[in-house]
Amino acid sequence: MLKSAGILLVAAVILFIEVPSLLEKKHKKELIVFSILLAIGVGLSIAYSFGSAIPNPIDLLTFIYKPLHDAITR
Amino acid sequence: MLPTVKINSYQFLVLVILFTIGTSILVIPSALAANAKQDAWIAAILGMGIGLLIVWLFTKIGLWFPNLTYIQVNKTLFGKWIGNIFSLLFIFMTFLYTAILLYYSGSFLTIHVMPNTPMAATNILFAIILVMAIRLGLETIARSAEIFIAIFFILFFILVVFIAPEVEFKNIQPVLEIDINKIFQSSLPLIVVSSLNTISLLMIFPAFINRPSSAKKHFLIGNLIGGLIVTIITILCILVLGSDMTALQMFPSYELAKKINIGNFVTRIEAMMAALWIICLYFKMVIYFYAAVFGLAQMFQLKDYRPLTYPLGMIVVILSLVIFPNNLEQSVYDTTIDIYFSLTICLLLPLLMVVVYAIRKKQLQKLRKHRN
Repeated sequence: MLKSAGILLVAAVILFIEVPSLLEKKHKKELIVFSILLAIGVGLSIAYSFGSAIPNPIDLLTFIYKPLHDAITR
Repeated sequence: MLPTVKINSYQFLVLVILFTIGTSILVIPSALAANAKQDAWIAAILGMGIGLLIVWLFTKIGLWFPNLTYIQVNKTLFGKWIGNIFSLLFIFMTFLYTAILLYYSGSFLTIHVMPNTPMAATNILFAIILVMAIRLGLETIARSAEIFIAIFFILFFILVVFIAPEVEFKNIQPVLEIDINKIFQSSLPLIVVSSLNTISLLMIFPAFINRPSSAKKHFLIGNLIGGLIVTIITILCILVLGSDMTALQMFPSYELAKKINIGNFVTRIEAMMAALWIICLYFKMVIYFYAAVFGLAQMFQLKDYRPLTYPLGMIVVILSLVIFPNNLEQSVYDTTIDIYFSLTICLLLPLLMVVVYAIRKKQLQKLRKHRN
């Protein structure tokens, strides 16, 4: 719980730094991309702090390239 | 439009040198020695030569459109949809490599320097300076690289001079015992890490440099200097540690620094030498992260890339913590899957670009005239 609170605190600080200037300049697209990425970041961090499995891109790459590697080295 | 800053070609040369040395100096000697044994240095020289050819191809691609970054070149060549898919692959790769390098730095520090510190702590600290560098912009990165390259070369000189008494020439004999196929095969990791991945520099190379045509020369020279330094380190590893020890170590050049002993007085200065690796690792990471963040901003046609840095920094830390469960998985990935992945994105796609450019050349020239 403490970890998640810390992560939310960090997210709040990031929001506090970025959002006012973005709203002031009326950069709508930036705000959308920023929010989506921050949501992903916070989601992943909290999932990690609870110890649940996080999708690992290396597994995907291994799934794609392993047959190729096996075919070449055989 | 995104803010445009220009760096001069000397600063670019420094960035290329640091990027080429990058992680190679730390892990490549063991990868080279695994197959090629005492002939690893031949494999290093061979890899350097092939790497230069690849970098030459990248400079060609870059100079087609002197004002566009790699992402924009993708878009002009392949059109909006296919171009964006290729750009997304490129961004995915640079982002993944940022996380992998963060893992490298974390595991290096937690194994050798601070064994009781959790990896999350070192990675978060590293990510903070990473994000800081990106937010300050390319010009600041290039200027700090100019300062750090001096420190790098001083430390490197000290390392080479101090290790010289430990050299034993019987370690590299017999020369050329291994057949040439195996030497070629083992030079592949070096080609991938220090030459193929320089494709990330195409985010900087033509668009953000004062005079792109003179920077082309510096791209090649920088790659050559970096390759030479990696070769020197590999030769020293083989000469001092022997091929078996080099292949067994995870960070052979760190073991090399441990061997330094001048009259029982100058000993165990490897912590100082660790600065070498941290400097290179850091700048390579910065360039990858810069390519990822800037590429993403350009793909979505944002006005500023800075808002993306903090969230992406957060994701990169988490990714670096989950990406490899242990060092064994990392070394298996490095020697197998990583090579295919890099070959696909850094060699197959550029070659495809060459083909498409050759077909669409006339059309594109008309387009350019139209725009002017």
